[in-house]
Amino acid sequence: MSGKEYGPENDPALVRAAQRGDMVAFEELVGRHRDKIYGRALSMVRNEEEAVDLSQEAWVKGWQRLPQFLGESSFGTWMTRIVINLCLDHLRKQKRQRMESIEAINEESGGVERQMPVVTVNPTAGLERSELRQRINQALGQLSYEHRTVLVLHEFEQMEYKEIARTMGCSIGTVMSRLFYARRKMAALLAGLKKEGLR
Amino acid sequence: MMDYESQLRLQACLDGELAAQEAAQFEERLANDPEAQALLGELRMTRTVLAGFEAGVKLPESPEFFWSKIRREIEREPRSVGDPRRGSLFAAWRRWLVPAGAMAAGMAAVLLIGRSEQGPETQTSLTDSGAFTYHDFAARTTLVWLSYPAEEELGGGEEADTLD
Repeated sequence: MSGKEYGPENDPALVRAAQRGDMVAFEELVGRHRDKIYGRALSMVRNEEEAVDLSQEAWVKGWQRLPQFLGESSFGTWMTRIVINLCLDHLRKQKRQRMESIEAINEESGGVERQMPVVTVNPTAGLERSELRQRINQALGQLSYEHRTVLVLHEFEQMEYKEIARTMGCSIGTVMSRLFYARRKMAALLAGLKKEGLR
Repeated sequence: MMDYESQLRLQACLDGELAAQEAAQFEERLANDPEAQALLGELRMTRTVLAGFEAGVKLPESPEFFWSKIRREIEREPRSVGDPRRGSLFAAWRRWLVPAGAMAAGMAAVLLIGRSEQGPETQTSLTDSGAFTYHDFAARTTLVWLSYPAEEELGGGEEADTLD
């Protein structure tokens, strides 16, 4: 059956067909969700090539595990969780291979975010969309992966603290402090990038 | 100056993570605290700036090429296609069978040991339905029988790893 025979909202029918082994239906599901899955991987690993590889791996795993998918969440959410877990695993392996980032050391040394002056003016006001994206991307890149991941899971995936803690294997308190630090640092970085842009 | 705990509570209030009553109390306090208001403004601004950041991100490969790579991998390792609920039923069956088996084995061990007057000093515990412990102090042996939720039930499967 061609994927085009399914309506745009009919993921469950495609999922059922793919569970029975219909690869055309699965191809249609990939087509519908590939950009979102890739986007999530890119936000987390911040490297296009790695994000493509990880999203591809997620799709292969998705196919392998599809018989166990019971539809308790939407297919898109289920696939996003798979790619998030793959990215976390990837980032953890990377971390083992390199020194702790300055950000993580700062966090452990305690409370840098408490001393940061509050940013009162939106430093991104009036920016073009592409420029805004570039600045956010630059700022995200300066966060440690733990801080970035908490921010991505909360802001983009709309996960609650409890769910982030479960996904990352840490306490809710750690999630709260990482999120607070990440937000405050983002604000400071964006304000700093604005000043640089004015020079 | 706001203490750190209050700053985190302020954030939790913004994220809708406080209970209704606590949130109301906090908002009342917020009305008379310019420092807290400024911080809340900054946290809100960061959230607004990030909203929609991922929108419009496109996979930098043609759909055909991307799918061809996935298809190649899928065909290399074909999965067994069956009833989608089979894995879950098996998991549920295993979840009950394993603790029940452990309990039966434990009770059998206790009975056998109880019959033997010269038998080893032993201790058994069953703290929850998923773990059974058997200590044989004479033989300096401890056996622990654990049953975990079947991995088939976890959406992430083996990659559902943790960070730290």
